[in-house]
Amino acid sequence: MAKRFKIALAGNPNCGKTCIFNALTGARQHVGNYPGVTVESKSGRFELDGMEIDLVDLPGVYSLSSSSPEEEVVFDELTKPGIDLILNVVDSTIPRRSLYLTTQLAELHIPMMLVFNMSDDADRKGLKFDIPKLEKYFGSPIVRTVGCRSDGIRPLLKKLAQTLTELEDHGVPMLSYGADIDDAIAAVAGRIDALGTTAYSHVPSRFFAIKLLEHDTAAMRLTVFHPVAGAVEEQIRHLREKHAIEADTFMADRRYAMLAGACRDTISMSQAKRREISDRIDMVMTNKILGLPLFFLIIYCTFWFTFVCAEPVMDWIEVFFGWLGEGVKELWDPAVLPYLRAMVTDGIIGGVGGVLVFLPNILFLFFAIAILEDSGYMSRAAFVMDGVMRRFGLQGRSFVPLVLGFGCNVPAIMATRTIESTRDRTVTIMVLPLMSCSARLPIYALLIPAFFAVKYHALMMWLMYVIGVVIALVAARLMKATLFKGDGEVYLMELPPYRMPTFKSLMLHMWDRGRMYLQKAGTIILATSIILYICNTYPEKQEFQQDYDAAIAAVQERQTGVEPGSDIAKQLEEQIIRLENARQAELMAYTISGRIGQALEPVFRPIGFDWMLTTASIGALAAKEVFVSQLGILYAEGETDSGSVPLRVRLARNYTPLQGFCVMLFCLLSIPCLATLAIIRRELNSWKMTGVEAVGLFALAYILTLIVYQTGLLFHIGVGITG
Amino acid sequence: MSGKKGSCGDAEQQCPAGRNEMTLDELPVGATATIVKVLSKTRGRKKFADVGLVPGQELLMEAHAPFGGLLRVKVMETSMALHRDDAANIVLKTGE
Repeated sequence: MAKRFKIALAGNPNCGKTCIFNALTGARQHVGNYPGVTVESKSGRFELDGMEIDLVDLPGVYSLSSSSPEEEVVFDELTKPGIDLILNVVDSTIPRRSLYLTTQLAELHIPMMLVFNMSDDADRKGLKFDIPKLEKYFGSPIVRTVGCRSDGIRPLLKKLAQTLTELEDHGVPMLSYGADIDDAIAAVAGRIDALGTTAYSHVPSRFFAIKLLEHDTAAMRLTVFHPVAGAVEEQIRHLREKHAIEADTFMADRRYAMLAGACRDTISMSQAKRREISDRIDMVMTNKILGLPLFFLIIYCTFWFTFVCAEPVMDWIEVFFGWLGEGVKELWDPAVLPYLRAMVTDGIIGGVGGVLVFLPNILFLFFAIAILEDSGYMSRAAFVMDGVMRRFGLQGRSFVPLVLGFGCNVPAIMATRTIESTRDRTVTIMVLPLMSCSARLPIYALLIPAFFAVKYHALMMWLMYVIGVVIALVAARLMKATLFKGDGEVYLMELPPYRMPTFKSLMLHMWDRGRMYLQKAGTIILATSIILYICNTYPEKQEFQQDYDAAIAAVQERQTGVEPGSDIAKQLEEQIIRLENARQAELMAYTISGRIGQALEPVFRPIGFDWMLTTASIGALAAKEVFVSQLGILYAEGETDSGSVPLRVRLARNYTPLQGFCVMLFCLLSIPCLATLAIIRRELNSWKMTGVEAVGLFALAYILTLIVYQTGLLFHIGVGITG
Repeated sequence: MSGKKGSCGDAEQQCPAGRNEMTLDELPVGATATIVKVLSKTRGRKKFADVGLVPGQELLMEAHAPFGGLLRVKVMETSMALHRDDAANIVLKTGE
């Protein structure tokens, strides 16, 4: 059997760690979440010289201080037994900063290998490393790499194979933080050893002694160490009295001092610092005047790329599913299992196809986002937008997801992962469904021309979008002031130097998101298509109020002999359509959806809905645009798209403009489609919050629509039938 | 690089601003200064310390974001964005 090793990949954010992870594992990755937090967990497997290696990609952190969810995850993972080797990726262009984490990892006394990444940039900068001296200092082998190109990975693999075979005699660094602190550490470590606890016997007591001395919350939470708390406080008091240094930051101070000393001996700079290209780009990009316009231009380009460039691909998919449905219909004899045939062709292929059409959008969008993220622009965008967004209780990074929400809420919610603060991310996700997505557009496109004069069309459309945005911003403010009160996390964000993204990592990024969307289409959308199809079709009414077949046949009889194209022929044609429509409506009223709509009608009547509108809004749970096709079936147009004039005429005859407006308002604000709810549950990792969101949005939509409708009735605004 | 003490020692009140002393939010764009101390009331003081915002460290104010809020500071060759309110707790010394 092959020997197995578990390797943890650790490093600062933006050190090229993910790149190395991708290069090592390729597409064989598993992406998930750490339990209870929204920190992404990534692991992968690869083989090396007959050894099987499980690689865990830890979140990028600056320190093991548990001052963020990411840092807590790293702390937990590294203090668990079973890690054979830590692979510490170091950005060698800024060694003093990158090695800060290394000094803490070294205290774990787990075998470690250092990867001095971006060594080409370091060379260009004129940095010279005394590698043997550094290896001795950290007690770890060091390999220099140049990022994720394959020629950079090869020496890494070679060194890794060698290190793994010599794991037994790895070096142990003895780091010194100055006599006073070393004494304190030794004193506390002695007390920990005296406890004789076994829970963390694989971690040196020295590691925990340091953590306890710097008041690390994760270490202080561990109950096994509570008995030494007195000793820890005594040491801290001693340090404060004698050396005037303070607990929470003295270790940081000493680590940097220690590194400054170490680097002085081992790293030299041969040429003067020059202003980096990256800084010069930023003179323009984050300029106080040019920054915002440039940001809006870049966002516009992203949209253009997502919606315009993806269009032809979407057309192909649409054609493909049309062809598939027809093909199945042709091959499947209508006499064999007719119910199943109808369900497969109309329900499943139609429903899933209708969703897969958006796949190119999703892929193109995430390709564009990957470019913005990997190049380093995303943090500039957040920097530039922060001032504006903060006034609404959000932050700079909330902006891009909110704008993406106009396209489709699902990828937009996935895009909130770039927001580091959990609270800000939660608020952003919760208000995101109020961004009027493109699936709501067909509803407006159908209703606005039906009820309003041409000169008001654009205004009404604009109004719907603005209502959504205003309510979202107000809701964010309110949530920040109530549910998510307090100061929240401290904002500290790195603006990494600009880098050219690699094609491979862009594709992996895109595929990650695309795969999620496909999974969703294959599960929840498939299920809801089937359920909705059944609800809209069964039970089938057999006995009708009148014999439609006979009535149609009678009209058809009168048709013979009438000159085609004459007025009488047209009238007869219309009669037939009306009869068929009436039969459809009766069928619909008899089905499960129809019955549910009728049962719920009393609830919805106060906001101006009759049973047909109620039924259609239930259908809209599957996807917002289903509202239009449901209404089409109810008004018996058969397959309807928003351009159908007769449906509009019927609607105008049956409802007032006030009702029309209320329908749009309700569709805009109420529960988004089930896919959005499903993605909210996944991203917030909580059924409770998803429930709160669903109930909250429904209540918001109901109450606002109620106010508008009743006020309209009271003041006789838009209550006259226009059709 | 460590162990330097600010002119107002370790007293926890706000330092009386000396001639060459100011807080980080007052540092103009393009100017450099040395950190004297980070007030202990600062939220996330440890987070700041971990990225190199410790006494004795030199930093450069790179930019102010439009519409207030964020400041961009270069510390140990890395650009960091932090909030103006937090920056007001970092005491600096300019020139020598």
